[in-house]
Parts: sequence; structure tokens; C-alpha cells
Amino acid sequence: MAAAIVLLAIGRSFVWIDPGARCVIGLRPSLVGYDNGTVKRALATLKAGSPEDYRKVCTHVAWINPNPSCGGFGGGCFWHHEGQRGRATIDVSTEHGLIWTVAIIVHETCHAVQYHEGRPPAFSLEHECYGEDDRILRALVRFE
Amino acid sequence: MKRAAIVAVVALLALWGWLSAFAWFDPIRLCRIHLDVELLEGDRAPIRQAIGLVRREDPLAYHALCRWVDRIQEERQCDAGDPQADSRLGGQSILAANDPVLLRAREAPGCYVRGSRVIVLKRAPGGTGGPGLVRERTEALKRLAGYAQEFWLERR
Repeated sequence: MAAAIVLLAIGRSFVWIDPGARCVIGLRPSLVGYDNGTVKRALATLKAGSPEDYRKVCTHVAWINPNPSCGGFGGGCFWHHEGQRGRATIDVSTEHGLIWTVAIIVHETCHAVQYHEGRPPAFSLEHECYGEDDRILRALVRFE
Repeated sequence: MKRAAIVAVVALLALWGWLSAFAWFDPIRLCRIHLDVELLEGDRAPIRQAIGLVRREDPLAYHALCRWVDRIQEERQCDAGDPQADSRLGGQSILAANDPVLLRAREAPGCYVRGSRVIVLKRAPGGTGGPGLVRERTEALKRLAGYAQEFWLERR
């Protein structure tokens, strides 16, 4: 019984489950920059603050890999390869806290959508995704 | 009997320490807010002082803070947009063009992230603190707790 509880507690750290939205996203373990708590808070924030963006994440992303070295340290990455067909894996840094983790998830999900739509990687596509993270930051951050 | 009492007291003290070490803990009002600061640069004391002032000066704001906020994070700044998003600047930071929204957000003492129960407070530059910082944060917490309350009540 105790072992089952411990396993469940450990398992919860590596998965985001939202039965209501039929959304399951795996959170990969990482030796460096390991902070799945921030990733989970970012997903919860998107769910409540921008349900449309949350649905996109659930539809296009299967795995989130906490990776501090991506995007010039503190950013994110989306790797274009065959393995990204279906629901994709995105690399997300949590180094700059909740606000940027939300923005990076939206940015990398934008790349997943582009990939699933069959568009090749190019700067113009990068620009589109900067526009997406800018939009979510402006929508969610309230300071005055 | 005596031994059991000692064990219970030790357990209570350990629980108290656990609940309050990294958080604002007010058992009388059933209020616990996690305080998340940088390991080397961060300092929870000014945040605790600011929350204490909110409790003394504005009970309604304190109630909102306890009810709708479960974490206060210290960050370098609040970002209300991505400086890399504007192509018109040809890769230059939009801050160079003085985007007033981004500038004001970066200068703000704190911000609330809609959809979360998190308030972000701007880290004191160079670790400077003092009564001025505590006062600034007190006013920010009162305002931002109101934003959190407004968001979650609107959703109901």
C-alpha cells in the first residue's frame, strides 16, 4: 500500500492529467533545470486564462521536456523530425518563472501546429510564433 | 502518557516549521502562501513584512490575498510582451523603441498572471531593501490580490 502511494506520488510529477479536457501530457524527467511544478502551474494557468491556447497544447503536444539550455538558455525548442508527427514533444525552460514558461509553451506549441500543418522551418514561421507568445503575455499579465 | 505528549509537541513544532519555512503562514486565518525566491539572491523577509502590513492595514485585501493567491514569486521583472515580436525593428529589442507597455511592466513592483493564483514581485535591484521596498510591495499586493479575486469571481 505504502509503495503504491509512493509510486503514485512520483508518477504524478511526470504527467499532467486533465480528464475533463481529455488531456494527458507527459513531463520528462531532467537532471538539470528540473522543475515540473512550474510546467504544471503554467498548464493550469493556460487552462483557466486562455482555454483556446490550452486546447491547442493538448491537441498538438504529447510530451514536455524541461530543458534549460534550449533557445539560448531560458527559451524553448521544437525539433523538426519525423518523430514529431502526431502529438509532438516540446522542450521548455522554466528558468525565468511562470510568466515565461507559459509564453514558451505557447511559442513551441505554435511550432508544433506549423509542423502538423506541413509547413517547413523558416524564419517567417519563427516570427509567427514570437507573435503568439507576445499575444499570450499581453493577454495574461496584469500589472496596473 | 508524558512521552506521547512530548512526541505530539515535537510533531506539531515540526509541522509548524514545515508549513512556515518557505511560506507566509497564518493558522488563525487559515492562510498559507508559498514564497518562492531565488536561492542566492532572494529574501523572504521583505515579502513577509509586506504581507503583514496588508493584514494590518487592509483586512479585505488580506482576505482576497489568502483566498485567491497561493504563491508569491520573486522574479527579475514582469514581462507583459515579448520584445522579439516586432519585425519592424529588424531584430532590435522593442524596448529600444520605448514600447510603453513593456517598459511600464518592467518597472512595475509586481504583476498578476491571469488564470493563476500566482503574484509575481519584482526582485529588488542589487538586493536593496528597506522600508521603501516593503511599502511599495504592500501597495502592490493589495492591488494584485484584487486582480486575482476579480479574475476568479468573473469565472464563476
